[in-house]
Amino acid sequence: MDRESEASLVGAAKTDPERFAPLYVRYFGDIFRFILRRAGSKELTADLTQQTFLNAMLALPRYESRGLPFRAWLYRIALNELRMYWRKRREVSIDLGRQEARLLGEEMGIAGEEEDLERLARALSKLDAKKAQLIELRYFDGMPYAELGQVMGLGEDAAKMRTHRALETLRQIFRKNP
Amino acid sequence: MKRHYRIAPGPIQMPSDAEIARYRDPRRLFYNYHRALHAMHRKPLYKDRKAFLALLLIVLLAWLLSDAADRRKEAGDAPPPSEQHVP
Repeated sequence: MDRESEASLVGAAKTDPERFAPLYVRYFGDIFRFILRRAGSKELTADLTQQTFLNAMLALPRYESRGLPFRAWLYRIALNELRMYWRKRREVSIDLGRQEARLLGEEMGIAGEEEDLERLARALSKLDAKKAQLIELRYFDGMPYAELGQVMGLGEDAAKMRTHRALETLRQIFRKNP
Repeated sequence: MKRHYRIAPGPIQMPSDAEIARYRDPRRLFYNYHRALHAMHRKPLYKDRKAFLALLLIVLLAWLLSDAADRRKEAGDAPPPSEQHVP
């Protein structure tokens, strides 16, 4: 979907909420996968996804396009939903695929051996939540910095800088914990 | 809340588009939207004059009834005038 047709769909949904349906159909899969990666269970993901779209519909009159995909705004709402869900829990387990962990390892200059990947996951668990989220969004979700910034409520440059700092902190934790 | 990352034992299986589409329910979304919108625009009790007056009337009536019951009980507890000790 190109930016113009997306903008017209958003404009139409702002004036008539019944016309939100095409946006819901278009982005449901993206948001579902984004949440499933963090929540684990499909049933829970379905509920959180539904709640994300409900909150998006309710907040749509206040939505202002900043030249970024509408999806980025939905990711931000989805992340807030996840945070509210996580607040009720003492511990959250997030599974990392080997491929994703290897990509992150490459970025950090770490060999992709099984043992290194386990160490990397342990180091990531020790990173503070905001830094870990920046790394997730950038390296596991593959988000460009502009979108990542919108999701985290930062500008593009700030998002880039903080992600690099988070990566540096992760590298230090990795080195300190063999 | 502590975040714990672990390397998945096998490849992470993401559901197919068809499977995800089964969780999509626009009717439920619109139903919840209208319900939430209605709840958002509902006047709070303290701002609704009629409801507030009705509630005030109920509280006043309850107080009057309880006061009347107390007085009756007090009158019933007191000994009849003939049994009263006159010095």
